[in-house]
Amino acid sequence: MNIPEVLETGVMSVLNIAVLAFLVLYVLFAVVVIKQVKLMSETLELELDQYIEIASYIHLTFAILVLILALIIL
Amino acid sequence: MASAFCYYPKKVNFINQDPEEEIILLLRKHPITNVGWILTAIGLAILPAFLSVFPFFEALPFGFRIISTIVWYMIVFAFVLEEYLSWFFNVNIITDERIIEIDFLNLIYRELTDADIDNIEDVTVKVGGGIRTFANFGDVEIQTAAEIVQITFEAVPRPDVVTKVLRELRVEEEQERLEGRVR
Repeated sequence: MNIPEVLETGVMSVLNIAVLAFLVLYVLFAVVVIKQVKLMSETLELELDQYIEIASYIHLTFAILVLILALIIL
Repeated sequence: MASAFCYYPKKVNFINQDPEEEIILLLRKHPITNVGWILTAIGLAILPAFLSVFPFFEALPFGFRIISTIVWYMIVFAFVLEEYLSWFFNVNIITDERIIEIDFLNLIYRELTDADIDNIEDVTVKVGGGIRTFANFGDVEIQTAAEIVQITFEAVPRPDVVTKVLRELRVEEEQERLEGRVR
C-alpha cells in the first residue's frame, strides 16, 4: 500500500464509522418519536392518532433496517 | 381531522377534560404557515440530484453513496415529521367552560395552559401583513384575570369568528352566573 491508498482507506473508515454512528443515533431518535407521539396522543385524542402512531412504528422499523443494511454494505 | 378550524369537532378529547365539557372550537395554525418548511423540505429532497456535479462524490464507493443518500433522506424525513407533528398537535381549544392552549415545545416537553371563560377580560385580534389579510388568519390575544394573564392563539384561521364565539360564550357564562346555573 502506498501513502495515498492508506490515506484513502483511513478516510473511508472514518466516514463509515460516522455514518454508522449517525444511524445508531437515528434509531434512538425514532424511539423518542414513538414516545413523543404517545405523549401527544395522551394529551390530545384525535381521530388520526392511531395512524400517526403506526407511522412512528414504521419509521422505527425503517431506521433499524437501514442500520442493518449499512452494517452489511459498509 | 387535520383541519385548522374545527367547529364542534367529533371524536376529540384532551387531557383533564371534564365529563360534561364540550369542545366548541379546535384551532391550529393556518395551513399556509406550513409553506416555509414544506419548501425547505422540497429543496432538501432534490439536493442529492445535484451531487453528481461534484466529482469527489462519484469517486466514493458505490455502497457508501447509497447509504449516504438514504441517510440524507432520513434527515429530510425526520425534519418533515417533526414539523408536521408540531403543527398537528400544537392546538388551541375553546370549550363551553374554558380556553386551552396546548404547546409541545420540543420532542418531549409539553405545556398546557388554560383559563375559565369567566376569567376572560379582553380579546384582541391582530391581523397584519398581506398574506395574513389575504388568507384571513391572525393572532387572537386573550387577556385573563387568571394567574396566567395572557393566552395567545397564534396564526389561527378566521380570527373574527373566534372572537365572536368567545364573546357569545362570555355572555352565556354571565347569563348562567346571573341565573345561578354555574357548573
